[in-house]
Amino acid sequence: MIRYPSSFIFFVILFVGFSLYQIKHFITKKEIELTQIQNNIKSAKSDINILKAELTYLKRPDRIEKIALNKLGLREVLLTDIWNLEDLVDVTNTISNGEKK
Amino acid sequence: MKTFEFFDLDVRKENQYKFRKIKLLISSLLLIMSFTIIGYRTISLANINKEKILNISYTTTENKSFQKNLRGNIYDRNNKILATTISTLSLNINPQEILNKYQTITKLTKIFPYLKEEDLFKKLNSNKKHINLLREISPREYVSLLNAGIEGLKIEKANKRIYPNNTLASHILGATDIDGKGIAGVEKKFDSQLQVGKDVTLSIHGGIQHITRELLLDQIKKFKAEGGAGIIMNAKNGELFSIISLPDYNANNYNSILNENLFNKATKGIYELGSTLKLITAAIAFESNLINENDVFDVSKPLKISSRIINDFKPLDYAINIPEVIVHSSNIGSAKIAEKFGSSTQLKYLRSLGLLNMLSLEIPELGKPQVIRDKKVLSTMTISYGHGISITPMHLASATATIVNSGVKVNPTLIKGKEEEKNEVIISKETSIKMKSIMRLVVSNKNGTAKKAEASGYLIGGKTGTAEKINPSGGYFKKKNIVAFTGAFPMNDPQFIITIMIDNPKGQKFSFGYRTAGWVVAPVVKKLVTRVAPILGVKPQLESSPNFSNNLLDFKIRGKNDGANL
Repeated sequence: MIRYPSSFIFFVILFVGFSLYQIKHFITKKEIELTQIQNNIKSAKSDINILKAELTYLKRPDRIEKIALNKLGLREVLLTDIWNLEDLVDVTNTISNGEKK
Repeated sequence: MKTFEFFDLDVRKENQYKFRKIKLLISSLLLIMSFTIIGYRTISLANINKEKILNISYTTTENKSFQKNLRGNIYDRNNKILATTISTLSLNINPQEILNKYQTITKLTKIFPYLKEEDLFKKLNSNKKHINLLREISPREYVSLLNAGIEGLKIEKANKRIYPNNTLASHILGATDIDGKGIAGVEKKFDSQLQVGKDVTLSIHGGIQHITRELLLDQIKKFKAEGGAGIIMNAKNGELFSIISLPDYNANNYNSILNENLFNKATKGIYELGSTLKLITAAIAFESNLINENDVFDVSKPLKISSRIINDFKPLDYAINIPEVIVHSSNIGSAKIAEKFGSSTQLKYLRSLGLLNMLSLEIPELGKPQVIRDKKVLSTMTISYGHGISITPMHLASATATIVNSGVKVNPTLIKGKEEEKNEVIISKETSIKMKSIMRLVVSNKNGTAKKAEASGYLIGGKTGTAEKINPSGGYFKKKNIVAFTGAFPMNDPQFIITIMIDNPKGQKFSFGYRTAGWVVAPVVKKLVTRVAPILGVKPQLESSPNFSNNLLDFKIRGKNDGANL
């Protein structure tokens, strides 16, 4: 005849084993989901990379330069196109002082 | 009687007790075994098999290379992509699963007109179970294939490294092999980082890299030169904005490129860069305190040392001081200066400026300088004007930066925002100011060898160098030159270093047959600075402006006919 504590231990072990199996099954399912999400992220990253690469290809300095010169009629920046704001203030002051005199 | 004994109660009881004991032992053993098996099985079932999960979660279109991490991107300093990894589709086929081969061939050639029918027929009649038809197919072709409904097709995903800017910075970026492992350039140097998906941001500026390349290429074509190198570097922290080596190549076709084009002239090629080394000679002279800027040297007669005669390209008939030696680029003057401070001092400074060792730049393609170290007077003299010392253009840029950066050593770097470990002072601030003043005169003075580099407002300063090219089988080529310029701008507070080298330019009609650095390289410097300075945030300075501060010393330079009596 099986004694009460022995049967209790037996059922506890049975329960723990079953729970463990259930947890394992649950984790496996989640791991698969995680890997699939990671794959999706990787695919999305790869797609983003494709878009970025295409954008970079379109924004290549040599292409932009050709468009700027030939289609938009732009030209290179000359020294006379750039003014130091402080110099302009000085020139303005000199002129206004001269006018006052 | 025996039979009676058998039925004796005591004996029976004793036997029964023994039997029960054996039964109990067997039951316990069985129970222990069962529990052990159940326990083992429970643990083994609880163990999660990652491999199995990965196999379940990946669809059949993805092969092993796709399962790895996506290789990290390489960006320029403005976060523009220089190298990235994308997934591509490859077309494979299992000939054993094809039912109607002729129909399959017709369908395939309709989608891929460039596939030859004979080749397809051979492949489809093969006994193999897996044959690659195309390494890459476009998404549109993929959709057409799905619509065509061809049996036995296998479309696999794979990673591919691409360089959207084609030739831009190809020597710096390097390449990866078929397994996605870095085999050259930054790809190799930062392979472990890139392999785990981490990005790398370089100090390179895509726009400036392009401008440097275009202007250098244009001049190489004009002078029918073999190639060249160009460097633009931050004069304070050594961050490299552009590194050009020409001829270059499309980084996407690395494996089909000639070795000659793969060679990085800016960081690996070592050259005698001629008179540009006079800057270092002058800096050593000031620093040694043996000579000052007022000491004069007789350069009126060629200098004969041992069996060698040292001449000047444009001889002067009077004695000149150090600034004039540099501005007129006098070999005789430079040799006499070097003779004063001697070989040991020269080698000491060359070492501290990093001209005797390989640089610590973040690419594997680095050249080791070659210097004559016999300590003979002749060697000291020739090294003073750049003969007998072969360095990379990057070495020259680094040394120039140290000279103009108040003597604090500048180590070139390809990484944006890299912090310098220590501030090593090589030359004094006073010497640096003297050198900056002289460098400015080389460009601004009417007698300067680099006057064609003058871009008004940007205060360019530097030094030209023209040297006969070394013949690999011994001696020098008499009609082949290496021409170079190294300098900085703006010289009153140098922000950027510019170093250009052109290999074997030929004299042209428009240059009156000249193929010297003053004719070949100086005009590129002018154009380059004019174009890149606004991008780099360097404002032109009007010398007439009340805010203009020169910060430079005023050395008087005499011309050819302004000689003093000896």
